Amino acid sequence: MSRPTQLDLIPRILSAINRAHLDSFESILTLSNADISRITGLSLSEVQTLKTKVAENVVGVTSMTALDLHQGKGDLMQICKLSTGCAQIDEALRGGILSRGITEITGESASGKTQLCLQLALTVQLPQANGGLQGGVAYICTEDAFPSKRLQQMTQGFMKVHRQTMGSDYRPGNKIFIEHVADYDMLLTCVNLRLPLLFASTCVRLIIVDSVTAVFRGEYAGHEIYKRSKHLSSLVSQLLALGSQHNIPVVCINQVSSSMNKTGRQLIPALGLAWSNMIMTRIMLSRTNQTIALHDSGIDGRIEATVRQLEVIFAPHLTNVTVPYIIDRDGIKGIT
Amino acid sequence: MDGQRELCTFPLAPNHKMKLSAAGFLTIQDLKGIEPAQLGKDTGLSLEDSEGVLNTVNVADKMHWKSGARCGLSALDLLQEEQSLPGIITFSEKVDQMLGVGVQLCKVTELCGEPGVGKTQFCLQLAVDIQIPTVFGGLHGEAVYIDTEGSFITERLADIIAATIRHCEHIAQMEPNEELLEHLKSLTMQHMLTGIHYYRCYNYVQLLAIVHLLPAFLKNHPKVKLVIIDSLAAPFHHDFEDFSLRTRILTSMAQSLVKMAAEFKISVVLTNKMTTKLNSSGDNGAHLVPALGESWGHACTIRVNLHWEGDQRRAWLCKSPSQAETTVPYQITTGGIRDIIMEERNQAQNAEDETPVKQQKLS
Repeated sequence: MSRPTQLDLIPRILSAINRAHLDSFESILTLSNADISRITGLSLSEVQTLKTKVAENVVGVTSMTALDLHQGKGDLMQICKLSTGCAQIDEALRGGILSRGITEITGESASGKTQLCLQLALTVQLPQANGGLQGGVAYICTEDAFPSKRLQQMTQGFMKVHRQTMGSDYRPGNKIFIEHVADYDMLLTCVNLRLPLLFASTCVRLIIVDSVTAVFRGEYAGHEIYKRSKHLSSLVSQLLALGSQHNIPVVCINQVSSSMNKTGRQLIPALGLAWSNMIMTRIMLSRTNQTIALHDSGIDGRIEATVRQLEVIFAPHLTNVTVPYIIDRDGIKGIT
Repeated sequence: MDGQRELCTFPLAPNHKMKLSAAGFLTIQDLKGIEPAQLGKDTGLSLEDSEGVLNTVNVADKMHWKSGARCGLSALDLLQEEQSLPGIITFSEKVDQMLGVGVQLCKVTELCGEPGVGKTQFCLQLAVDIQIPTVFGGLHGEAVYIDTEGSFITERLADIIAATIRHCEHIAQMEPNEELLEHLKSLTMQHMLTGIHYYRCYNYVQLLAIVHLLPAFLKNHPKVKLVIIDSLAAPFHHDFEDFSLRTRILTSMAQSLVKMAAEFKISVVLTNKMTTKLNSSGDNGAHLVPALGESWGHACTIRVNLHWEGDQRRAWLCKSPSQAETTVPYQITTGGIRDIIMEERNQAQNAEDETPVKQQKLS
């Protein structure tokens, strides 16, 4: 039921709202009782009945208790968690990336943002028992070309581990849908039109935008900051809508800017407060000065790997923790 | 009591007022017992208009009499009434002191702050604290939680509940008596999760609808003493073009929330985001202000600004009718909102929680 005139109300009220062209729930709820009474000629108590009916219809379900939610009852889709494929990081994230809101992965260049996303693109295909969501991924590239060579490399390592569960001739690459976009308009078309089509035709359980920054950083002059935040919020509202409709995680990569303050240089995520206000979880990746020796079975025998750090900056359910990790041929690995 | 009230103080159309006064109708007294037809004849108003005038005056007059009962209260009565109202404790003594007795009942409190500073954590903490039995210093109430962002994660809620139950057990151990132990038994995770009524809301139309239905819900659930909206800003952030509509909706929503808070003696807690405001005085840069615009700032009775100072979280009471403007530090632990100086037991426990992650040795 999507129109006020289809509500179960007495004909007098229905014809009055029809006459007054109050043809959406929105218009009825945003007007005050007195205003509705004036334009429809209904009495205040009738308006109250009408509003209550409309409100009940819009809210749909009656409230549920937190217990129902905790036990996964009710028609709210239960929170899914997508494993990162690394036990230490999963532990810090209490199981993985949530299917709620937007998860931002930010960090300086070469800190491993894309690596982590590629890894998520693989783990999402695993069955639920193994921490995946048993579906494909929509991977939107806005920066460079999609690093398919690197993905190939990681796929080999991934299949080595998961051959048993996935079957030996499974090709993870077939479930990764890549879209290259160059500017905001293309990105919006992609998210508004192409993604829903993709969702309709195949099982996609993860959206990755790599990165949001590229599109929004360059194209806006200083005085266009308001326009930028409006564009950002249009993008975010569509991503959130897709995310909550399908109950899937949405991951966005963000770059950092450096900010000078009294204590020196500090890296802060780009795009400012307008963006920060719209995301739910922020994960920051960074490089440290340390290296550790890798015992790899490769040709070189011994390779040095830079130790990197994953830090949870904020999330409604996580404490601020830091996990050191390295990147090797198979992807991201937490170290102990 | 007051047949002397002047007609020009009633919400009447200006030209009606003019005609009334021109014909010599000045106070309510003058309209007593007069028929619409007679009034029309005397003033030159149409029959419909004079009926309208009489109706307005009667209705407004009656309301005046009804509220007259409240008008008889002295400031002392009001003070005593307010002082007798308990508050909702936050588990941070300093924040409680800053707010008086914790988050006040009958009032609308706004929490604003940057992302990650702990707005949602405060909300979760309050939703749990409201349920603490009276013998342990709580209100033994229930909470309504309206979630507009999807940031209500029950896993996190469970952490806070577990810590709260531990806290109550601790009290019971200190002074074991029958009553405390009796209440402790009913204090379970399940019980406390049931005491939170959850609404998920995706856009402002749904939010309006929920707020509209709340009075009826509160009537049916008299135990509810706290309504949380986390966050109020989110539904108005995305794609909201019409700012005058936004102001109108927010004002009317604020009105109904204030009314609800007073009528049902509940506390309403809202969260708001921060936004950047460019300084008008040229190139001084920008500073952070709460979102939703200037007019919204008047809507809440109490406003608390949460922010970072260095790596410490601070709560700043920036608007309150009764308390002085103060800033206090607080922290967020696994158990919820706490003072920075903690009891030993908690500290030990926290240290246990954190060491495995924080001090990892690199091989």
